[in-house]
Amino acid sequence: MAAAMELRCWGADWGLPSVHTESLIVLAYTKFSGAKVTVSPVDWTWKTITATIPELLFGDSAVQEPTQILNFLRKQRFNADYELTARQGADTMAYIALLEEKLRPALLHTFWVDAENYSNLTRPWFASRSPFPLNFLVPRRLAGGALSRILLTTGEAPLHRISEVEGKIYSDAKECLNLLSYRLGTANYFFGNSPTSLDAFVFGFLAPLHKASLPSSPLQSHLRQLDNLTSFCDNILSVYFSPPPPIQDTMDANLQKLTQLVNKESNLIEKVLLLSFSLLLHGFMVALGTYRLSCVYGVFSFHARACGH
Amino acid sequence: MSLAAEAFMSQMAAAEPWPENATLYQPLKEDQILLSDCASSLAVQAYLRMCGLPVQVVCRVNAEYMSPSGKIPFIHVGNQVVSELGPIVQFTKAKGHSLSDGLDDVQRAEMKAYMELVNNMLLTAELYIQWCDDATAAEISRPRYSSPYSWPLNKILAYQKQWEVRRKMNAIGWGGKTLEQVYEDVSQCCQALSQRLGTQPYFFNKQPTELDALVFGHLFTILTTRLTSTELAERIKSYSNLLSFCRRIEQTYFEDKRIL
Repeated sequence: MAAAMELRCWGADWGLPSVHTESLIVLAYTKFSGAKVTVSPVDWTWKTITATIPELLFGDSAVQEPTQILNFLRKQRFNADYELTARQGADTMAYIALLEEKLRPALLHTFWVDAENYSNLTRPWFASRSPFPLNFLVPRRLAGGALSRILLTTGEAPLHRISEVEGKIYSDAKECLNLLSYRLGTANYFFGNSPTSLDAFVFGFLAPLHKASLPSSPLQSHLRQLDNLTSFCDNILSVYFSPPPPIQDTMDANLQKLTQLVNKESNLIEKVLLLSFSLLLHGFMVALGTYRLSCVYGVFSFHARACGH
Repeated sequence: MSLAAEAFMSQMAAAEPWPENATLYQPLKEDQILLSDCASSLAVQAYLRMCGLPVQVVCRVNAEYMSPSGKIPFIHVGNQVVSELGPIVQFTKAKGHSLSDGLDDVQRAEMKAYMELVNNMLLTAELYIQWCDDATAAEISRPRYSSPYSWPLNKILAYQKQWEVRRKMNAIGWGGKTLEQVYEDVSQCCQALSQRLGTQPYFFNKQPTELDALVFGHLFTILTTRLTSTELAERIKSYSNLLSFCRRIEQTYFEDKRIL
């Protein structure tokens, strides 16, 4: 209990401590149970592709997956579910299963598969948070994983096409949100007056949907109509994650602009490097005396392609 | 199926009463059907009996391919074909038969959550044990699944199905689990169900609902199916109220015929 615990997760944005659902679940649970963890975001490091996120490091051991991490924290005596009855514990398992089966496919679709949201919000965000060559790889890998997960769990064989299942997953997700709203009612948390692991899971699933500025999302508008769920998220944010001061918003905006500028510049630097390398190669071949007409054509087309990029 | 098609289907369903010659299709009981399909089929049969709707069970070798969604079981009612418990419940509701009308919103939310728990944990565990455990796959699942076909089709179909199921397990994160962990998950799921059931006759008081049908289908099948090890059945037997629950439903709704 005295040893330090470190949590690797995706970074913060949109008014949330993390934009990634699983990371949010673990962060919320650590706050609810009073566990002290140092949060180390993996943004701008190579861990974005090498590590499974979220990951809890404790001494020599590493735990992954939100359910395993929560079990681990409970064993370390950070237990937010201490006061639940056996039946409430059973209800917790059931509702978590409901979230996984009904809500997760639609959330994955909204953020990673829907073309408008992916190209305007998700991909730029994850690309800007990854170091140079990874900004091409990380979003594509995550999007591919999301699509295959949706198709394998809800797709109807043999028609593995996303358009067939879109309607179904969104209607299931809306029904799931309605059911959560009925269950929450007018209370602040799902069980009594203090939050538990179920609250952490619901918060992790709903908060990105609530706070992200998605260009097109019928699911988000459906969530916004359910006042008790939105105030549930806002309540947890204000009580457990103190809101950032307003001045930091403009700082973040400036930082984002700077990052985009640096990215554009690094593209330019790449082009210049490629062009100079091709010129050097050309000069080298002339010097060697292997200069032939077909070679000339090949090198010129290489030049043309390099400049065209 | 798309939302428009679903709405159209329920409108057509509402027009006619339940016919006498409704049939339920599943693979061959003795030789071909596997644990997970048998559980789903039994759940649907239990649900229809609880609603008091007559249905004949017909075994066909190619039932999986006849099904509109590729999943077992499916029912053929009038001129419509519906597969899987969820759509079948909606279909019967459109015809005016429903078991969960008496529940309020919060109870209905709980019921749906527990049904998802069974689907998420028990059904996935059954699929894992059948297809991802090498011993069971080689001794039981592959031979049974491909028993109606001749070489080389039987080998191709069996390995294709195994590959599909393993892909799905990897996608949802069960690929890295060991058999012990899967048994542990099943125990936790049964513990949750047992605690929810308590001492009541059914999950929601005196009347059975589709949740009772689903739980009965899975638990009864696990208890009565021979696998390479009896570990799974033993874990369920440790919860006595679940055992008496299964016995009660079997005696109430299936007394006229032997199920397995």
